[in-house]
Amino acid sequence: MTLMMFRSQRYSDFSISLQLSRKLLLGFLFMVTAIQEASAEQRIVEHSMGSTKVSGTPVKVVTLFQGATDTAVALGVIPVGVVDSWVQQPTYKYLRKDLADVPHVGLESQPNLEVIAGLQPDLIVASKRRHEKIYGHLSQIAPTIALETVFDFKDTVAMMGLAMNRQQQANALLQSWKNRVADFQQRIPQKLGEQWPLEVAVLNFRADHARIYLKDSFAGSILNDLGFIRPANHPQGQWVVKLSTKESIPTMNADVFFVFMTEDDPAVKRNYLQWTNHPLWKSLDAARNHQVFQVDEVAWNMSGGIMGANQMLDQVYEHFGLNPVM
Amino acid sequence: MDKLLTLRTSVVSIQLNSVTLKMLGTLLIGTLAIALMSLSAGSQWLNPIEVVKELLLSEPGQHAFVIETLRLPRVVTGFLVGGALAVSGLILQSLVRNPLASPDIIGITSGASAAAVFFLSYLAETVSALWLPFAAILGAALTSLIIYLLAWRQGVTPLRLILIGIGLVAGLGAMTTFMIVLSPIATSMMAYVWLTGSIYGSDWQDVTALLPWLLVLLPLSLMLSRTINVQELGDPVTVGLGVQVQRTRFVLLAISVALAGSAVAYAGAIGFVGLIAPHIARQLVPRSFGSLAPASLLIGGCLVVVADTIGRTAFLPLDVPAGVFVSAVGAPFFIYLLYRQHR
Repeated sequence: MTLMMFRSQRYSDFSISLQLSRKLLLGFLFMVTAIQEASAEQRIVEHSMGSTKVSGTPVKVVTLFQGATDTAVALGVIPVGVVDSWVQQPTYKYLRKDLADVPHVGLESQPNLEVIAGLQPDLIVASKRRHEKIYGHLSQIAPTIALETVFDFKDTVAMMGLAMNRQQQANALLQSWKNRVADFQQRIPQKLGEQWPLEVAVLNFRADHARIYLKDSFAGSILNDLGFIRPANHPQGQWVVKLSTKESIPTMNADVFFVFMTEDDPAVKRNYLQWTNHPLWKSLDAARNHQVFQVDEVAWNMSGGIMGANQMLDQVYEHFGLNPVM
Repeated sequence: MDKLLTLRTSVVSIQLNSVTLKMLGTLLIGTLAIALMSLSAGSQWLNPIEVVKELLLSEPGQHAFVIETLRLPRVVTGFLVGGALAVSGLILQSLVRNPLASPDIIGITSGASAAAVFFLSYLAETVSALWLPFAAILGAALTSLIIYLLAWRQGVTPLRLILIGIGLVAGLGAMTTFMIVLSPIATSMMAYVWLTGSIYGSDWQDVTALLPWLLVLLPLSLMLSRTINVQELGDPVTVGLGVQVQRTRFVLLAISVALAGSAVAYAGAIGFVGLIAPHIARQLVPRSFGSLAPASLLIGGCLVVVADTIGRTAFLPLDVPAGVFVSAVGAPFFIYLLYRQHR
């Protein structure tokens, strides 16, 4: 529906522009750019694909990965185009109110370039991991900045803040995050006493295998900041380990498990039950001591942005019976 | 007797009859029509007349970016990829005298796939993804060479080539799956897209990288068309007619590998085109390489262009990899041709 509305509006734009003579149109465009250049300062944004000059305050932003969409909303800008979410399609529930009428430009892995061009954005936020091949096309459509990964939420806030001329808002978001982390770090030892620092593992179950999310993942890096520790035998410098056989269940071992998965997928549910009913599972410390907790997949993994990170932190506060500070 | 058009110089000898010429003409017009439709279709349907104007006029109009930067390179890349795979498949089918041969039988697709997935899994973090085509083409060439060497026993016979090829292809398939299972989610997603085959995001750089291969290899294969035709009669006859069987076989294999390898490098594993396009061509033109090669080229090219056009328009705003639709378009058309011939 939204797509159709947006389309018909575009068609009328075209018919109007067709009525104008080309000369008039060119003159008009020239005036607009001249005014923009005179009034707005320019910023150079250094990013994973080079450096991009952005002028003025971009208002028509297209975000090509989940974390960028989340961050744009957090910075107070509703994007003019977003990509489909991975679960809760087409938009994560926590963003639905803000993004109700925003057109979609396809999947994060293969966004539709024509639709993006049709939106006439003045800034595109991409990720090198996903969009290296189309960076050339994207930067012909609009100034494009590219984050290295899709889940480094602090970098995303800082870079998008600079590109969108909202450094103040970005700094405020990052400062508030710092304060919250400091608050948690200060209060959790009092709460847990000897148990702190707690050894945790973040587990994820898929339809045909299980995963351990490590220090460099989204949830992993947040737990790290908060002061949680990881089992010594977990690999370093990686963000995920895939476990394809139940024989490797013992490598999961930790005092506490936080588990997330796509719960409404019956295949995932079945696999989860198979793994957790395995005799080896019952020998794990967390399982024996009933320290297995299911957490929200979107906040802990899929969002990849500052809003998601804050939601995850809320849930961690809540889990340990602490009142979150805002 | 039909009127024949004979092209004979010291290097080339091709004979086309009037039926073939008419059919090739029809295919050419069809190809142009398909290309034009593909340029018009997209997130927004453009009037084909406007598209032609845009292409012919030097002054860029309002749709210049969409047509000339987004759609045209994609259509051209799709056509080149499909055409290269089709001719490669045609050469192989004549060479091993087996209608089931395709660029995969001598490991081109699976070699390229294994190399591409290896690249995505272990090198993508450190090396720019723009090197992916080189990794793929290297994998294709290496695998074909290994198959050729393993099949060598005082010369290479088609049968040994096929059997060794099937063995190695199975092994490489297992390696590819193994790497996908072990790699993190981000890479396995990219690997799956690559294995499906996609010409998404093609730009003029891809076209300029791909075009020279075809410009060199296609005329080269036409120069050898006489030998290819003779080859189909079996080794004893071929030797009897004075063809150096092993040398031409090696050259033809090399051409086939280079054609398919370069195509696969830029579009991923759209291998099915190489199997089906020559068969469709055989239903339309007489069985001589000189007629089959241009027909296969056009048909293979059209298959990929049509598949990609469906992929980027059927589920808007989603852009679905072309490989998904290549078989969906090619197989029914092929079955229809067989059915019609049967009656």
